[in-house]
Order: sequence, then C-alpha cells, then structure tokens
Amino acid sequence: MVTVAESEYPLASRRRRRFSRQRIGRGLAPYALLAPAAAVIGVILAYPLYLLVSLSFQKYGLFELIRHKGRGIGVDNYTRILHDSQFWQVLGRTVLFTVVAVSLTMVLGTAIALLLVQVSRFMRLALTTGLVLVWATPVVVAVNIWHWMVDFEFGVANYALTKLHLGDFIRHDWFESPWSGFGVITALVVWGAIPFVTITVYAGLAQVPQELLEAAAIDGARPWSAFREVTLPLLKPIFVILISLSIIWDFQVFQQIWIMLDQRPASDYYTMAIYAFSQSFRLSEYGLGSAIAVVMVLFMFLATIVYLRQMLKAGEVH
Amino acid sequence: MAEIQFTHVSKTYGNDFKAVKDLNLKIGEGEFVVLVGPSGCGKTTALRMVAGLEEITDGEIRIGDRVVNDLAPRDRDIAMVFQNYALYPHKTVFENLAFGLRMRKVPKAEQRKRVEEIARILGLTDMLTRRPAQLSGGQRQRVAMGRAIVREPKAFLMDEPLSNLDAKLRVQMRAEIARIQQTLKVTTLYVTHDQVEAMTMGHRVAVMRDGVLQQLDTPQRLYDAPADLFVASFVGSPPMNLMEASVEQGGEGILLRLGEATLELPGDVVAERPALRGFAGRRVAIGIRPEDVREASGWDGARLRGRILLVESLGAEQLVHIEITAHPLERTDLVDAAAQPPSPSLGVDGLERTVTLLGRFDRHLLLAPGEAVELAIDPRLLHFFDLETGVAIPKAEVPVAAEVEVAG
Amino acid sequence: MSAVTPIAPTPVAPVATRAPRRRRVRKLGWNLVGLVVLIVMVFPVYWMVATAFKPGQQVLSYTPQWVPLNPTLDNFTEAINRPHFWDSVKNSLIITTVVVALSLVLAFLAALALAKFRFYGRKAFIVLILGVQMVPLTALIIPLYILMSRVDQVNKLSGVIAMYLTFVLPFTVWTLRGFLLGVPKELEEAAMVDGTTRFGAFVRILLPLVGPGLVATSIFAFIQAWNEFIIAYVFLQSPEKQTLMVWLASFTSLRGTEWGPLMAGATLTSIPVVIFFLLVQRRIAFGLTAGAVRG
Repeated sequence: MVTVAESEYPLASRRRRRFSRQRIGRGLAPYALLAPAAAVIGVILAYPLYLLVSLSFQKYGLFELIRHKGRGIGVDNYTRILHDSQFWQVLGRTVLFTVVAVSLTMVLGTAIALLLVQVSRFMRLALTTGLVLVWATPVVVAVNIWHWMVDFEFGVANYALTKLHLGDFIRHDWFESPWSGFGVITALVVWGAIPFVTITVYAGLAQVPQELLEAAAIDGARPWSAFREVTLPLLKPIFVILISLSIIWDFQVFQQIWIMLDQRPASDYYTMAIYAFSQSFRLSEYGLGSAIAVVMVLFMFLATIVYLRQMLKAGEVH
Repeated sequence: MAEIQFTHVSKTYGNDFKAVKDLNLKIGEGEFVVLVGPSGCGKTTALRMVAGLEEITDGEIRIGDRVVNDLAPRDRDIAMVFQNYALYPHKTVFENLAFGLRMRKVPKAEQRKRVEEIARILGLTDMLTRRPAQLSGGQRQRVAMGRAIVREPKAFLMDEPLSNLDAKLRVQMRAEIARIQQTLKVTTLYVTHDQVEAMTMGHRVAVMRDGVLQQLDTPQRLYDAPADLFVASFVGSPPMNLMEASVEQGGEGILLRLGEATLELPGDVVAERPALRGFAGRRVAIGIRPEDVREASGWDGARLRGRILLVESLGAEQLVHIEITAHPLERTDLVDAAAQPPSPSLGVDGLERTVTLLGRFDRHLLLAPGEAVELAIDPRLLHFFDLETGVAIPKAEVPVAAEVEVAG
Repeated sequence: MSAVTPIAPTPVAPVATRAPRRRRVRKLGWNLVGLVVLIVMVFPVYWMVATAFKPGQQVLSYTPQWVPLNPTLDNFTEAINRPHFWDSVKNSLIITTVVVALSLVLAFLAALALAKFRFYGRKAFIVLILGVQMVPLTALIIPLYILMSRVDQVNKLSGVIAMYLTFVLPFTVWTLRGFLLGVPKELEEAAMVDGTTRFGAFVRILLPLVGPGLVATSIFAFIQAWNEFIIAYVFLQSPEKQTLMVWLASFTSLRGTEWGPLMAGATLTSIPVVIFFLLVQRRIAFGLTAGAVRG
C-alpha cells in the first residue's frame, strides 16, 4: 500500500527516507490503532481472568481486602469445595437446569421458527415484532413481571390455572418448593431466550437455497423428508452455535434467581454463579468464591471451544 | 417416455405481468426440444410450469396423457437439471444420485446397481464418495445429469445447465448431453439463452420473446426461413445483416432500391414470394446472412459499393466489416437487442445513411481496412420482412414442422 | 430403455395437494396457532403495561382485570417520586452515553487495524476478541471487585464505565470490522491517489461509509449498558450512585411490594431499550451467527 507521504527533502534522499518512514509507519500503524481497545480489554478482561485464577489459590477475606493483598494457600480452596457436598449439589443442580432450559429453548424456539415459515405474511410480521418485544425487555424488568404474575395472592398465574381447572392454585406460593420455584425460573429464562433462537433459526431457514428444496421435491421427497434430508443438515452449524451459546448463558444464570428471590435466595436455589457470588460478597471469602468460579468456567470451556470452532469455520476469519 | 403438451398455457404474475402468453407447443416422445430466447422471454417460466414449480394461470399442460396442472412435482415423474445444479451439499455423490430412488423406496441393492451404472456411464465412479464442494464445475454438472438419468423419468427438464461452465467445457458437455439423450431417447425440454446451444442440440427449437412463441421449427429451417425479424436476428452468429429498402413497381416487374443500388427482382424470386407485390410503394426490411455477402468479381447482376472498416481474422475465415450506403433498420424494437449493430452514422449532409455489413470471407482473400470493395447482391439470397410487424414476407409452400420424426 | 428393473409406478390418482381451497384452510389453521403463540409470548409484557395503568384496587384484586378500564397515571407518579429515581436516571444516562461514545471511537480504530492491515498477531487478536466474549461475567466480577478496590474505583461511575466499555468492545470491534471489510479497497486507493494519506482515507472515506455500522454498534452498546445489572449492583453501592436497573431491582425490598408502581417503574425503564432494539434486532442476530449456513 503506497502512502503518499510529503517531504521537503531532495528527490534522491527523499526516496530513501520515504521508503524507510513508510516501512516503520506501516508496521506500527495497526498496533497503534489497536492499542486503546486492547488496553481496555487487557486491563479489565485479561488481567482479571489471570487474577481470578491466582485468587483461587489464595485466602482472601476482609482482612486481605483491606490490605489489598492475599495469602497464598495452594490448592486448599479446591480441596475444600471438592469435599463439600453442597458444591456437588449446586453443580448438579446447575447442570440439570442448563440441560432442561437449553433443551426447551431449542425445541420451542425451532418450532416457532418453523411456524413462522407457515403463517401468512401479516402474522409473520406480528409474531416477529412480538418476539423482538420480548427480546428487548431487560432481564431485571422481566424478572419483576414474572414475579408479579406468580404472586401468591394477586398473581394472574394462580387465577388462570385455577380457572382452567388444572388444580387449586389459590394462594399458591410458587417458591415454597425449589422444584416449582425452578419451574418458574426456567419458564422465565426460556421465555426470554426463545426470540433469539427463533429469529436466528428462521434466518437460517431462509438461507436454504430454494433450488435445493425444488430439486428435492422433484426427486420425490415429501415436505417432511425434504426438511429432514435437506434443511436440517444445512442448519446444523446454526444449531451448534445456538446450543453452545445457550449452554454458556444458562450455565451462568444469576440475575433471574437473585432478583426473583429478593436478593436472598435460599441455599437450595443456589446455582454455580450464585454460589460463587455469595461466597465472595456475602461471606467475604473471595478466594473460595474464585475457586468455584474457576470450576464454573472450566465446565463451560468445552461449550466455548465448540462455539469458537464453529464461528471460525464459518469463514469469518481469513 | 411421454410427450409433453402445452395447450393455451399462460402465466400471469400479480395482476398484470404476463410471463407466458398463450403457449401452444407439443414435444413428441423422445424428442429434444429447446426453448430459447433472451432473458425474460418466459422460457424458464414455461419449463418450471411443466416441473410443477410454478402455478399455471391458464391452460393445460399434459405429460403423457395426464393433465398435470394440479399435480405436485414429485408425482409428475419428471427429472430436472438446474442451472446451478442444486446438488445436496452435505451428501456424497452417491447419495445425491441415489436420493430420488430412496424417496421412491427403491430397494437398496437396486439403488446401488443403478447408481453405479450411471456413474460408470458418466465417468463418475471415482467420485462417488466425494462431496459436491470437492468437484469441479464439469463434474458437478455430470452429477446433476446423473441424478436425473438414474430415476428413469418420463421426461427431462433442463434449465440452462451449461451456463456456468467455461466455453471449452460447454462445447464438450453439449455433445455429451445430446449423445446421452439420443441413447436414452428420453423426451427432453431444454431451456437456454444461447442460440448456438439451441441450434446444435435440438431436434426442434422454439424461439420465445416476451412470453410469446415466435417460431417453432428445426434448427436449419429457423436459420434459412426465419418467421420474423426477431428470429432472423436472434438465430445465427454472427447475426444476419439487416437494413431497410424500398419496393417499387417497375413496369412489369418489382424493383428493389437498396442503398444506392436499384435492382429488378428476377421473376422466380417474385413468384416465390407472392405477397411481395402488395408492398410496392412501401419500405421493407432486408436481411442478408454474412456468408451470403460476396465480393462482386464475376458477378454480372446488381452491385453495392462499400468501404472496408475492419477485418477480423478468425483463422478459418475472415469477418469483414463493410460500410455501405443504405438505410439502417430503425425499428430496433423488432430485433434481438443483443444483435444490434453499432449505431448507424449520419452521412455528411444528414441524408445519406450508412449500414455496416458483416461478411464472412475466405481466408485467402487479401482485404485491408480503408479499401473500397464491390459486393454482389443476389436477390435469391435476400430475406424480406414487413417493416410494420417484423413478420417475414413468406415464401409460398413453406411446410411448418409441427411434428418431427425422431430417428431410431 | 435399459435392462434395469423398472421403478414401482407412481400412483395414477393425482394427489391434489395444491387445490387452492385446501391450501387456504391450512394457512388459516397455521395463522390461528401463530396467534396463540403470539398471545402467550407477549402476554407478560402486556400485563406489565396494563398493570402500570390500573388504579390500586384493580391491581390488588383477586380476580385480575384483563383490560385497564379506568387507566390512571398514579402508579407512574408514585414510581417517579420514589427516592433516587431521578438520580438513577441521571446515572444511567451518563454511563450509557459515555460508554457509547468511547466504544465507537475505540472500536472503529481497532476494527480498522483488523480489517485493513496485515500484521503479526492479527489472528491471535481475533481469537481473543471472540473468546473473551465467552468469559462469564459472573466469574470475573470477583477479581474485578478486588482490582477495582485496589485502585479505588469502587462506587464510582468511572469504574463502571470502564467495565462496561470492556464488555461492549469485542462485539463492536467485530461488527465494525465486518462493515469495513465490505467497503471495496478501490475507494481507499482512489482517495490516496487523489491526495490523502492512508489515515486521511480512513477518516474521510471509510468512516462515513460505515455509518450504518456505527449506528448499529452504538445502539447495541447503549442497550448493553442500559440493561446491565450485576456490575452496577456490586459496584455502585450508595443509593445516589445507582443505575436505573438497580433502582428497579431494589424496588421490592423497600416497602413490601407495591405492584402497580413497580410495573410503572418497569415500563419506564424499558422504553428506551425497546425502541432501540426494534431498530437494530436483525443485525444483532446476524452478527452472532453470520455465515453459518452453507448453501
């Protein structure tokens, strides 16, 4: 790339000088451009990541917080949590929640995307707008709405369910039992996650070349066979991305539980993120909390790798 | 095998755009018919209506003896080769070829047998385990053909299958497709915008323009006796030279004033074209094929004087651009847009007009730009057209080939 | 034709799957299903707005009123008059505007580097950008707190701004890079032949051309910053430094639960985001999964 540089030097030496200035200029320019963004990301993302790992090997309580310095204790934090039955309960609970939430999100999201293909244009516009509206609702707002809907006294959920003769839900406290509590949380999370899946899958469906479906129709495939044989395989990359993203997001679920339970969730509502958070900020055991957080990150690592590989494969990097 | 018949078929989009207007066409059993025309002429729409990929607005299409208007594509027992091949990208070549058979529940052993045979015929045996992305354009095209052949359908439909290939490959594949069709004797409807493909491959060719069938005939007859200006300018490469001339009553005979030359049309020429008499006192359009443009040495009839503008050497012959004084064809809406010659130049005083003729000359002749040359005008080689409508002034007794006997 | 066993014959009776009347009925059926799905999905949002406009007794009644028949603005007045509402609005606005402005500048520069230069470490940086988006905030919040307390940035808007900036940058850099790649190189080259420096070409030619990309990324940054809860909750501890989201989340713990004003507050909080989201939704979905389907 030729830089039209200006110079007052006489021609011969100007040429040589311009050449070397050009070389340096060109060589440094990208780094200079990247530097501010890289600095911010480095300080606030990369360094804390390292700090997280190093913290997990330290004892860091209130005392250490004031002194701004931790005390190295090797792998004690890890042995402690691995021997703690609560840790395993929390881990199991988080895994179960993730599996259920991701499955429901993917199935329902894809079903609605297929529905979008079948409906008339007007309904499609209405549905898409509705989905975007749901997607736009901030999580904090959504949690409050659902909290209101399942209110034990005046909530609309109890009223509607009783009216539909699905049981007696008058004054039913949804959060009395963690199972129904998580039911509500799962519904809330899936509700908020569906729009993204639906819109993405729908976009993918629209990208399937019309010609392929026509060829399949001429070859004798009924609509369902064409879907299974032609459309689904083409959608595989999208599903991989969506599933890995959903796993990453749902595994770290925090806000919904925290806010729904008035920032004081009982321990049988703990997920990994909440567990790590309470250890650190409620019990001021930052070292221990870090160790739990590290385990959480490791668990999500596999999903992250899969996501990254699929994105890179999709040809974005050349 | 089955015939394909269009009866008063029309296709209208929205409320007003008619892509196909009242098409009547019959493709006999085992016949290879090419639908050709410029983009937007309706040929692909017509093909897709046969396939069932477009709704038929009016009229009837029959495959064999069945009216197929309401049948889904998969029930019509036809196979289609798409322009972009439409190969299933995630399936191997074998699976692509076998797909249609699988959908019809053909037993696995039978599938394997047929796919392997087709692969052998098309030279694809080594590629059966590969995916389309790993194949070259020509190989993909053959897989697309194979997929159609392996199903042994009643008819083949082909939508510009060669457009995505480079020129040399196209020539090769043209011959292969024609050979396959002749061997298998499957009724084939083939769509292309390339008139060379149309001429070389079809038993009969249907020229379409703006949704209307202009002429349906054998390639040779399309070339020798085009039904109107559009067909005349569309078929043949390099295209027919077109210009205007005036017809006058000259005593007993008919006079033709062409540029500076005036010639009396010989009796047999007039006798062949009885309608020509009705054009006395009017202008007509005249066409001369490039190979009929000859140098006048040894010719004792009417001559045209011209000046050589450009000589293009093609090796086997020379294409010579010659400027003559003549009235250019002003009705450019009647001819194929792609065949338009460079715009005519106004003479010095605005009254003289020139036309650039393209002539195909023997490669041994010494011709140079700037030279003056005299051209022989042989009225027997001229084509006459009505200037108002573009329709050819017909020769009497021209049998139109409605049916063609397919050899073998 | 050939010596091969013929296929099983296709049924002669025409399968009239395309009779127009049947198709219309099917479409109607799907539309009904679509309508049900729409109602179910949107109901919570509707319920929030409906509740916000209902007078108190209609909100706190055992039989819910489906449509607010006597709409009132009382809940809104009540919500707005809550302590620190306006402080929260101010804080949220400050934070979001600064984040948007800074992220645009930094992301544009970085995207330029990634899109228009070849240099050692480019691929590594790209992987870093993509990967870093995956690090869970809930894990990072712990070391971030430690880090921020060391440099005395706890309970300060500037600290929050820096953190928000970080979380927004990867996506914005990636998106702007995509937009920049779409601008043909010839335009820059023409500009340079015409007399600008390379950087001049960037600013005068590329910047205006990626206008839509800048709009999209600034809207994205706005939405992220506006909606964020966890960081604001942990770091902005005094009530007058809170953002709107924290204000909303703390609504219930103050005086028992006043559902009417809460829903009104929630509605108010959502408005800016909903507007912007409707403007940019397609781009966001596309950016995260771009190019995934191969046809």
